[in-house]
Amino acid sequence: MKSLLMMLLLFPLLGGLYHALLGVRLDRRWSEIVAVAAVAGSLIMAVAAAVVAGGRPVIFPLLEWFSVGELAASMDAMYDPLAAVMAVLVTFIAALVHLFSVIYMRREGGYARYYCYLNLFVFFMLVIVTADNLLFLFLGWEGVGFCSYALIGFWYRDAYHADAARKAFLVTRIGSAALGIAIGLFFTAFQSLSMDYITHHAGMLSAGMVLAIGLLLLAAAAGKSALLPLSIWLPDAMAGPTPVSALIHAATMVTAGVYLLLRLYPVLVLSPVAMGVTAAVGAVTALYGACSALAQHDIKRVLAYSTVSQLGFMVLGIGAEDPTGGLFHLLSQAFFKALLFLAAGCIIQSLSGEHDIFRMGRKVRHALPKVYGCFLIGALSLAAVPPTIGFFSKDRLLLTNLTHPSIFHAVLWIIGTLTTLITALYVFRLFFLVFYGGPGPKRTQAPEPGPVRPILVWTLYPLAFLALAGGVMNLPIGSWNFLDRYLMPVAGLGPPLEASPSLEWGVRIGNAVVALIGIGLAYLAYGPRPLKEKPATAPDSMQNLLYSGFYLNKLYHRWVVRPYEQAAAFLSNRVDHGGVDAVMTGSGRLASRWSMNLRLWTTGRLSTYLGVLLAGFTAMLVILALGLL
Amino acid sequence: MRLLLTLILFLPLIGGIAVLFFRRHPDRCRWVSLGVTLADLILVLVVWFGTDPMPGAMDGRRLFVDLPWIPALGIRYFLLLDGISLVMILLTAFLMVLCILASWRSIADRAGIYYFALLATETAVMGVFLAGDLFLFYLFWELQLIPIFFLIGLWGHPDRVRAAVRFFIFSMAGGLLLLIAIIGLYLIHGAQTEVYGFARYQLMNTTLGPAVEWWLFGAFLLGFGVKIPIVPVHTWLPDAHTEAPTAGSVILAGLLLKTGAYGLLRFGFPLFPTAAARSVPILLTLGLVGLFYIAWIALTQQDIKRIVAYSSISHMGLVVVGLAVWNEIALSGAVIQMVNHGITTSALFILVGILEERGHSRQLGDYHGLWHRMPVFSGFFLFFAMAAVGLPGLNNFIGEILILMGTFQEWPAAGIIGFIGIVLTLIYFLRLVQNLLFGPVDERMPGDDITQREAAVLIPLALAVLWIGLHPGPLLDLLAPSVAHLADLVGGNGGAADYVASGAM
Repeated sequence: MKSLLMMLLLFPLLGGLYHALLGVRLDRRWSEIVAVAAVAGSLIMAVAAAVVAGGRPVIFPLLEWFSVGELAASMDAMYDPLAAVMAVLVTFIAALVHLFSVIYMRREGGYARYYCYLNLFVFFMLVIVTADNLLFLFLGWEGVGFCSYALIGFWYRDAYHADAARKAFLVTRIGSAALGIAIGLFFTAFQSLSMDYITHHAGMLSAGMVLAIGLLLLAAAAGKSALLPLSIWLPDAMAGPTPVSALIHAATMVTAGVYLLLRLYPVLVLSPVAMGVTAAVGAVTALYGACSALAQHDIKRVLAYSTVSQLGFMVLGIGAEDPTGGLFHLLSQAFFKALLFLAAGCIIQSLSGEHDIFRMGRKVRHALPKVYGCFLIGALSLAAVPPTIGFFSKDRLLLTNLTHPSIFHAVLWIIGTLTTLITALYVFRLFFLVFYGGPGPKRTQAPEPGPVRPILVWTLYPLAFLALAGGVMNLPIGSWNFLDRYLMPVAGLGPPLEASPSLEWGVRIGNAVVALIGIGLAYLAYGPRPLKEKPATAPDSMQNLLYSGFYLNKLYHRWVVRPYEQAAAFLSNRVDHGGVDAVMTGSGRLASRWSMNLRLWTTGRLSTYLGVLLAGFTAMLVILALGLL
Repeated sequence: MRLLLTLILFLPLIGGIAVLFFRRHPDRCRWVSLGVTLADLILVLVVWFGTDPMPGAMDGRRLFVDLPWIPALGIRYFLLLDGISLVMILLTAFLMVLCILASWRSIADRAGIYYFALLATETAVMGVFLAGDLFLFYLFWELQLIPIFFLIGLWGHPDRVRAAVRFFIFSMAGGLLLLIAIIGLYLIHGAQTEVYGFARYQLMNTTLGPAVEWWLFGAFLLGFGVKIPIVPVHTWLPDAHTEAPTAGSVILAGLLLKTGAYGLLRFGFPLFPTAAARSVPILLTLGLVGLFYIAWIALTQQDIKRIVAYSSISHMGLVVVGLAVWNEIALSGAVIQMVNHGITTSALFILVGILEERGHSRQLGDYHGLWHRMPVFSGFFLFFAMAAVGLPGLNNFIGEILILMGTFQEWPAAGIIGFIGIVLTLIYFLRLVQNLLFGPVDERMPGDDITQREAAVLIPLALAVLWIGLHPGPLLDLLAPSVAHLADLVGGNGGAADYVASGAM
């Protein structure tokens, strides 16, 4: 078992090191084979370890790291059902993405760098997933941040990409600071950093401590999982190559925050306030992401905002005391979002790099019929149309909020349902524009779609299958809730609150209807029909608001970035140079003026010197005598 | 083995004097210096693997020499090597070898004197780390100034003379305060016990009134604080670093700053425990303010070397925090952080030096898109920059997390602020990385990547980064007994008495 876990982590790590050390001397073919094999091997190990563990939580010390006094940071792995589900998910998506990359990136230079970071990305994510010690988890947490930085900025020659990368690293590091502080508080409270120990002794924490830690964990999750108000990095993060976006959005990055909340759920749940805030942040983020996605022009940006929205749903579920539901939605989102991103990658490559959905259209459908089918499945799943996995996972989260005793959650349920409607609307707006749009003013200059390599399309099939039929893993009927039962041994995770069958079915049918209404609205607004040439109008303020993601970037720029830069300039020019240094050199000048006076003493006459010497000695003796007295 | 301590200490100086005889043959100077520093490094390694903490001695000492030197004044030739000293001289010997290698080509002019200055610095710095007698300590403390002054003043960049003088005046002012306080303590101790002496174990035994203790501690703090440097007295550092030749910057950042923190650790706090304990809030504030303040200042700098120099102040601010907290975890962290800072900052200075040799500029605006032209250089740069911002798995993280976790035990608020401060470090480092490495490809950028000699300098540093980052156990074990002893000394009650008991053996 231990060796399985070791190999699970070592394969991608060695893959990354191999690329890092051999670097430019590496043959492209070998580079690809090693990278894909590393992740595929890791996937096999993840499955094997899950089978061997058989649903029981196991903890293994892997390596010593460091320990001083009570602070012990050892690299301990914990493989319980939660970790197993995540590890399999991460390696599965990552393996497909690696395979996809081999074709998608075949014309790009810098492949050694690309696969190095890609493998390391998977490694660090697996560290997060399997870590028991909080500092070991932190290693993965920061490592993922760095890899995302390197990959988003993969095309570093363009300042836009490099800026997006920097933004991702910085914003997620704000979350890291929160996590670091939470680790510090855990350490003072428990003198232990083992999450297994912490979750089983969470009751020892005082109410204030629980609240503080709960909010810090939420802030940490907000950084990595792009929740409000730290969501701003994710829409820009699509500057990276499309396979990287798929990886970030489905497996290796944004799920880390949600996973942290699940892992430490027994602590979070102790504070009703923290839970309430978590649920509220989730609901508002879901609505925010969905509204922003409505007005985007870039195919990847729509999907990025949609990820923000779906992450909000997951956190909403956790806040409503259904962590298993949150995890179920995480899985579901991973399948359909990876599918949509990879399909989008096929479209972008077919159109030689075109991202603007207003330049796509029915030609794409004709050129890429298989991609069209896969994209439709992904869109249905995202819109939560039965019987896709997206329907079951979202339905469950909404139902949990409605059955929650607090009236507050009823409000969140309303927001969630509204978001479901908007979700169906934006995703089918995207779908119709991409595959059915007729020739418009911008479309006439659009590039002709070309064919894509079949392997690219093949990687979509497993994802399409899961996005369509994956719901079977956790159906709310009888004993079909396999996921719920598998996760039972994990502290804090279990089936949701019981609801009356009539309410359950009412909500379920209601959700399906809402989703269909959304699709219908999208059809009315953007559906295939003889095209009326609309005069180009200036976008109104509502469109601007949505397009810019509620001006969040501008707000940050105005209230955080600019004041920060101004403070830096002020401190640097006025305080450091003009203030502190001036005092220092000023005192130096004062000293030299004094020394001018002192120079009068250097008369060159022996008698003066002797006199002064005598006076000095007398003074010293007097002081000594006084001291002795 | 006892002779070994003296040999380690003076071998570089002897080698330096020998180099002066070859000063007409720069190449021979280089090889002799390299041989001497390597031999010294090997000797330090021999001491590491060949000694253990002495059984019975509570302070974890491994070796010591204690001989009367100037009996009339009670001055002793007292060298003491414990875990902390060993780690520090290991760092010194290691960095010195790299300094010699790093300046292999860039120094052609007056090479003999240059290498003499480097080697003399090694002896002086090691003396600071080994001295157990306060007078001897002070002697080495002032001795290190002289070769560095010439290193900056003779082989530095255009504005070198001003920077050298500034450095000298700041250091001298601090040193004079220190001297006055040392003499004061000596006189008070002598008056109380009738035994006049400077040895640490003697002076520990002094009873001081609160006011006197405050004044003396204040003088020590200022004297050491200038060197560390603690924030309001830091303004000499950016100039000195920027104008110094690469090896000078490495010595300044990697070693000289450490002597200040080491002085506080070894003498400042243990000699004046009450005053030190009372000044903790002030020191924490200064250290943390430094972290934020420097993050802001560094963001506006245009000179690459200056940015790295400012990052030094910020990292050392964290060391001050670790010292102020003074428990086992934070102290270990502070010492490890000194070593880490020595490694990463030296590496960054060396990289900037390499860049400057090729591009003849240190301005950030003059470079972009280096990744395309010099991929190996860029890889190293990114690696060490990530180490400097405390990415886990690399060395600085270990020091930072130990300091902050130790801080959390006593001063949670300071720990929280510290974590936030570390985020800010990332901002200016990413600006640096982004401006240098990323951006459009430009064929006018320097294109000759790292040479083998440069790789020979950078690879050991990179390995050290990984070693401390992933497996700091051996280093921490080395420190453990000494650090535990020091932690008891100030925090616990009656610690001073234990110390005297163990010291007198």
